[in-house]
Amino acid sequence: MVIPYILFTIIFWVYPLIWGILIAFKKWNIISPVTEFVGLDNFIKILHDPLFWISFKNTLIFMVVFVPLSIICSLMVALLLNRIKLLRSFFSLGYLMSYVSAGVAYSIVFRLLFSGDGLINSWLGKVGITIPWFSSPKLAMVSIAFIVVWKFLGYYSLIFLAGLQSIPSTIYESAEIAGASKWMIFRRITVPLLNPSFTIILIFAVILSFNIFTEPYMITGGGPLDSTQTFMMQIYYQTFTALHAGYGSSFAITVAIISFTFVFIVKKTIEKDMIYS
Amino acid sequence: MLNRSQSKFLSLTATYALLATGLIFIIFPYIWMVLASLKPSAEIYNRLIPTRITLEHYRMVFSLGSTGSTSPFVRAIFNSLVVSSITTLSVVFFGAITGYALARLRFKGQNLLKNFILFQMLFPIVLFLIPRFLLMIRLGWINTYQGMFSPFMMSAWGTFLFMQFFKTVPQSLIDAARLDGCSELRIVFRIMLPLSKSVTIIVAIFTFMSMWDEFLWYLIVTKDYNLMPLSVLLGLYTRGEYSSYPGIQVAGATLLTLPILALFYFFREYFTKGITMTGVKG
Repeated sequence: MVIPYILFTIIFWVYPLIWGILIAFKKWNIISPVTEFVGLDNFIKILHDPLFWISFKNTLIFMVVFVPLSIICSLMVALLLNRIKLLRSFFSLGYLMSYVSAGVAYSIVFRLLFSGDGLINSWLGKVGITIPWFSSPKLAMVSIAFIVVWKFLGYYSLIFLAGLQSIPSTIYESAEIAGASKWMIFRRITVPLLNPSFTIILIFAVILSFNIFTEPYMITGGGPLDSTQTFMMQIYYQTFTALHAGYGSSFAITVAIISFTFVFIVKKTIEKDMIYS
Repeated sequence: MLNRSQSKFLSLTATYALLATGLIFIIFPYIWMVLASLKPSAEIYNRLIPTRITLEHYRMVFSLGSTGSTSPFVRAIFNSLVVSSITTLSVVFFGAITGYALARLRFKGQNLLKNFILFQMLFPIVLFLIPRFLLMIRLGWINTYQGMFSPFMMSAWGTFLFMQFFKTVPQSLIDAARLDGCSELRIVFRIMLPLSKSVTIIVAIFTFMSMWDEFLWYLIVTKDYNLMPLSVLLGLYTRGEYSSYPGIQVAGATLLTLPILALFYFFREYFTKGITMTGVKG
């Protein structure tokens, strides 16, 4: 009964994984039958590829906006949801609505809604401001991060809410009796006991930051001035437009290693916090 | 000074007010999308409420198509449905039998396989994109349905979920079925699956949704407009031929969104359950 799974995994998982690693050390343009072993050249080339560093920078900008904003907002929503009984499932489902939206669909919507002469700017124009959401190189990546916050707000809130509900109310009661202030209770009880939720959300958020593709592809095409180029856009471009399969593959491996490192750092730091509190 | 119940009432009101405000931000893009798809093109950019309702964009979407052929959008919806449904059935079928074997049978290498499935979930998708594409070329599956769905036919995540749930089914049920001469396959589909309705629905809806939304993989393996799923067709049209027809883009976006919204509405409690079980794909 497990044979189909094993066969499938060998063909579509193990074999591609190994193949991908092997071609990362080769120079190959997909079309020609000739492949040339180049050792670590591809990896060295990546370090000298300005677009690699631009994508890295853009990913960091995305993370710096997306991670704190989505965590703060979704924690707030979860805390609010945790205070109510009536209509709780109505609200949590309402917040989840953005999560089920398809990437291409909401990219179209936000691109039009926030375009230079779009509805949001025509409203803002009434008070004398217009914001170049996607046309300013400084702002474009930040705007994309906002959109992704919109998408995942409800999803992360639900994870936080599940975490909040697993905290026994007796802990809160005894803290109140001991005279702890609300802020103290939040800082010393809620946050530490939500540690598993924080960990899983941070890991999701970091992995997601390295996988951004549809939004910049659909909204900005990587521009203006490469300000929304991402790793995935580069891998797509190198492999499927420029046909540098070997280079694309080594790019993918480099990105995977970087994202592993980030996830590892997140895990380590949070585990440390756990011990202190 | 407010007394205790008054201040409690106030804080509860504030809670609801904040939640409602936040909800407007979540829902507004949807409202805008539906309204924009129904209003004259000239009003898409600068008016929220249309002066008149028109179906012209939908008419365009459904009639586009060169000389008498069906609209590419209708075909794309069909393609999306085919690819997403096949994948969903396959993930549930193989997830259930593999999960059953791992949870309830004894065989050589069982623990190895269990650990391997957990190990698989650690690998980011980026590592597989290029070699799987090369594999599709080698198999001659570019521009085919199987090229689109084959890499997703079995999922470590789905298998893991089934395995976890099947562990909780009482052994006596399995023993009784075996005494009656049931085959192991029959046990999975006649006993285990009916008892695990919620896991089955969760695996099915999340798989269907992720296949319906999938963009990058389809973009890579389909070049033929007749075979493209809706997400890619809409994406390419928006960037290409119809880049200056916002009405068609928004109507297409609405068509891409509605089926999943309907799914969400009918299976809403399973969406929340699936997410709180965490480990659900991000």
